[in-house]
Amino acid sequence: MRRSKLPKLVIAISVLVAACSGSSATAAPSGGGGGGANTGQVSGKLVIDNESGSTWTCQFNPYNPSVSLTSVGFVYEPLEFVNALQTNSDGSNKVTPWLATDSSWNSAYTTLTFTIRSGVKWSDGQPFSANDVVYTFNALKGDAAIDTNALWDANGGPLTSVALQGTDKVVFTFSGAAQTYFYYVADQTPIVPQHIWSSEDQTKLETFTDTAPIGTGPYTMSNCTDNNIKYLANASYWQSQPGKPVPQIAEVDYPAFLSNDPANLQLAQGQAQWGAQYIPNIDSFYVAKDPANRHYWFPATLNVSIFPNLEDPLLSNQAVRQAMALAINRPEVSQRGESGYEPAANQTGIVLPTYQSWYDKTLDTTAFDVAKAGQTLEAAGFTKGTDGIYKDASGKRLSFTIKTISGYTDWDSSVQVIQQELKTAGIEISNIIDEDSGTYTTDLQGGSFQLAYGEETGGPLPYYELRQMLLSSNIGSTNYSRYKNSDTDALFNKYPSSSAADQMSVIHQIETVMATYVPVIPVCEGVDWYQYDTTSIGGWPTKDNAYALPAVWALPDNGVVLTHLYPTK
Amino acid sequence: MRFIIRRLGLFLLTLWAALSINFFIPRLMPGNEATAMLSHFKGINPAALHALEVEFGVNNNENLLVSYVQYLGNCLTGQFGLDSARVPVMTVILRGLPWTLGLVGVTTVIAFSLGTLLGIVSAWRRGGALDSLLSPLLFILTTFPVFFVALLLLFIFGVALGWFPLSSNYSVGEAPSLSVGFISDVIDHAILPGLTLVVTAAGGWIYTMRNNMVSTLSEDYVRMARAKGLSPWRIMLDYSARNAILPNLTGFAMQLGFILGGSILVEYTFSYPGLGYLFFTGTTNHDLPLQEALFLFYTLAVLLCVLVADFATAWLDPRTRDA
Amino acid sequence: MASPQVFLPGTRTEAVDQGYRDAAGRLSRAILRNRKASIGLLLLAVIVFVAAFPGLLAPGDPQAAIYDQQLGPSWSHLLGTTQVGQDVFTQLIWGTRLTLLITVSVGALCTLISVLVGVTAAYVGGAVDGSLSLLTDIFLIIPTLPLLIVLSTYLEGSGTFAIIAVLVLTGWAFGARQLRAQGLSLRTRDFLEAARVRGERRPYIILVEILPNMLSLVVASFLGSAVYTVATAAGLQFLGLGNSGEITWGTMLHFAQQNGAIESGNAFWALAPGAAVALLGTAFALLNYAFDEIANPALRSVRRRRAKSDS
Repeated sequence: MRRSKLPKLVIAISVLVAACSGSSATAAPSGGGGGGANTGQVSGKLVIDNESGSTWTCQFNPYNPSVSLTSVGFVYEPLEFVNALQTNSDGSNKVTPWLATDSSWNSAYTTLTFTIRSGVKWSDGQPFSANDVVYTFNALKGDAAIDTNALWDANGGPLTSVALQGTDKVVFTFSGAAQTYFYYVADQTPIVPQHIWSSEDQTKLETFTDTAPIGTGPYTMSNCTDNNIKYLANASYWQSQPGKPVPQIAEVDYPAFLSNDPANLQLAQGQAQWGAQYIPNIDSFYVAKDPANRHYWFPATLNVSIFPNLEDPLLSNQAVRQAMALAINRPEVSQRGESGYEPAANQTGIVLPTYQSWYDKTLDTTAFDVAKAGQTLEAAGFTKGTDGIYKDASGKRLSFTIKTISGYTDWDSSVQVIQQELKTAGIEISNIIDEDSGTYTTDLQGGSFQLAYGEETGGPLPYYELRQMLLSSNIGSTNYSRYKNSDTDALFNKYPSSSAADQMSVIHQIETVMATYVPVIPVCEGVDWYQYDTTSIGGWPTKDNAYALPAVWALPDNGVVLTHLYPTK
Repeated sequence: MRFIIRRLGLFLLTLWAALSINFFIPRLMPGNEATAMLSHFKGINPAALHALEVEFGVNNNENLLVSYVQYLGNCLTGQFGLDSARVPVMTVILRGLPWTLGLVGVTTVIAFSLGTLLGIVSAWRRGGALDSLLSPLLFILTTFPVFFVALLLLFIFGVALGWFPLSSNYSVGEAPSLSVGFISDVIDHAILPGLTLVVTAAGGWIYTMRNNMVSTLSEDYVRMARAKGLSPWRIMLDYSARNAILPNLTGFAMQLGFILGGSILVEYTFSYPGLGYLFFTGTTNHDLPLQEALFLFYTLAVLLCVLVADFATAWLDPRTRDA
Repeated sequence: MASPQVFLPGTRTEAVDQGYRDAAGRLSRAILRNRKASIGLLLLAVIVFVAAFPGLLAPGDPQAAIYDQQLGPSWSHLLGTTQVGQDVFTQLIWGTRLTLLITVSVGALCTLISVLVGVTAAYVGGAVDGSLSLLTDIFLIIPTLPLLIVLSTYLEGSGTFAIIAVLVLTGWAFGARQLRAQGLSLRTRDFLEAARVRGERRPYIILVEILPNMLSLVVASFLGSAVYTVATAAGLQFLGLGNSGEITWGTMLHFAQQNGAIESGNAFWALAPGAAVALLGTAFALLNYAFDEIANPALRSVRRRRAKSDS
């Protein structure tokens, strides 16, 4: 179960337009303890424990997805922080201002204005200003390769200009209502220093090695070798106040682990405090060695689903998909395939408990029921053959292949369990095909598969994931099932211009689509792997204080966590 | 001279064949190679994807033949470009090389010397305790898959006895230096992977060396030497072993290919960050530049050894020159 | 079938039969007399039996995930259970079948190609020999495992057939070279000369005169390929380059390794299939070793039957 963990670089699909409520947050970041103590001291050492899969390259370009997990959050920071785990009463994400102090939309959601924080310094002592923000976004415009979220119109996004207003305001102009872009603009675009980056080749910024990164973040990179990166607290970090320094942990070590076992061992031996590991038998292997101080929490933000190819003659039959959804015992798959670490999903596609407020229980009609699965198939004219597998009137057996990603052994295990369960219900999975992620992605996008086991990239609210799955213009990219329905498209297109209450109603209608048409069969929920040790460090995000995604590789949430930690010894 | 030219010809042909296989397989297989390589940019916008394709020089709709010629040129001049993490491939290779070279180099020398020595003694004392016990035992051990020996040693000495670290090349957080502490840490980490390679390689040497010795011992010149009453040591080493070692030298090259292959499995099992580990992760992630460069490296390493062994044999044994 | 130009009297087929029967008889007698061969044969027989009747030893579905997960060895689960709750022992027993199938198929196909290439090169000679030998040399030198890894990653998902194909592609060369060498040495022998003088056709000469004389080498070539296949196939599967939906010893090792079986106290899950692979490899290697001795009696180690006073 060594699922590779790449940085959570969030992806917008080329034609992603639409909106989610923007913020006009005014609160100050809650750094310096997050409600916990500020000891007034900067001391101690934090060791991070994450299977990186390769040794460090000692490059820190935040726009290089291979290395961004070592620079974003530590060194580079965004304008505002969008918390995917906490929602306001209307269902929108909680937003914390970061390098911007405030942001506001115009009434048509076509212009977004940020007020940039004053008094922030780059780690080389130069002042940070709104010019750096304008520079960063325009750099994305000039170099499509780093505009990975497709913000700019030239790259298929809605952004048409980013300009300075006065001395401390930056105005973003969009070609249409673009509220959902708030997340990509405010949270997912780290700001870089103009005085350093402007001397690089502006058309090839993705090749900038950035071996000595200069940022505004809580840490500075002090030393990098193949197998360890050492960060030191940024003494002039903007969140520090007299007597209340931020960050409070003096040193952070980030060792490179090629594989799971050594990383797990390091955690078990108490040599690392912040883990992002899949650990088999975590209770006995990790927690039991110091139950008072060692904890784990695996918050879910995504679905891991079966994608049926709706262009397949048998799978295009709604009854077949419904029967499959009924025949899969999700809690069993979760327990056996994922050791119970990834909770069972539900057919509405709303990840629970994270997005509880968006979930309508009355719509969730597909509970595990093998008998009902059989009835559904028989009602649709299928008959059980002598081999125990259903076939249609022309004698075609309900037998499919399923594709998954090689090396994702937990998915392999889950699919094996699903295979057994479907067999009981008279549906055969004849072959489990492991493909490398590249071929797999190509096949899913091109529709060359029958069933596929996989996940989307999602976003901070259910809207993002459901839209990736079901919008017809995403066929060829993230709409793997190739689900096409103009009513559903209209719902997604209505969402951006809707009030919070209407957005809720839109999502409920999409939940109905999920439960009735079963275009996708969510099975388990993808989680952040997260272990923490309170022996010497406090201030960790917990289930009850979910102030950020707790995974080391969740960017820029990792930076938010770093500003909350404090030494307890 | 003709011999040398012919061997050089084979050398170049093999190199060309290996390079071509390496070029055409990824490009002719189903699955778009560019998307495969850029898979961790999943869902990237088309403009960005195109920019990256140009940057990595993949899928640029060029004539396959043109890219093939370019590729051959790049291989000859050592321009492998950037890997998928945008680090020059040569940098990546140079980083992994010392670890593999250390591991494979040292273990090969140990395995060869140990194997040859035991083979000599085993043949000399044919039917002795050593011969009837050790040789078949080691031979059977050779048939044990490398990874099984690795897992076995890992279990016994790493987990059960806890004598040696389970993985990696040196302890987490250690800074590389020439200090005694660091070097002993490195050796500590290298013992289990190294032992795996020695155990799996030595048996083969013993086996071939013994058989060669058995043959030479029955040659007339050895009998002659015996008749002359020369000391057994001299017969064993000067007369018999010297000639018996010849075929072993040729085998050396073959063996190197085997050991390099074994090192991939060993580095994988022990998460040892050498070239084998790089090659495995690079290939399975379809990191084409890395895969191409390392495959070339493996082929060249074996080819050079074959060549050296050929010339050494020719120099030691003039008869082969006319062959 | 008799064609107008060729007259095939019955005696010729008999001659073919007789040639093989003699060779086979000599071989089997030699095998039974050789201790290593007997042990190897016994091991192999046991493994073949398990592969043929897995249900006798482990009734139950090897894929069924119906037990508690990651259990250690006990009386009800001799080798513990897997990460999803399958019985490791049942998997080991049922995994024998596909493992053996892959080994034997690759061995047989490699031998077939070796014979074709080797004997053709030796017998036809000239430019054909030159190009075939060159091809053989190239395949011998290209490092096998790296090539296999490259091929396998691009054939992922094609199942058992793919793994057989890549192993055959990379495994035939060694046998071909040996067979060519022996073919060359046979070419000039008197009995072949006599057959040629008699005006026999090439296929007849190859089938009746050459192959029976090479039988022991053909068998040795098969055994050599089998030894190579057992370890290499399992190695590829161990690396995760096999078909994870099918149970072989190699895929068992993959899942065990990926779930940290060795480190987390479930070592038998990894060590048992590993030992099984080693055992199968040893069985073939013992036979192969014995064949070398049969072919070259000088190598046989002299049994210690000397008088005690000697020591």
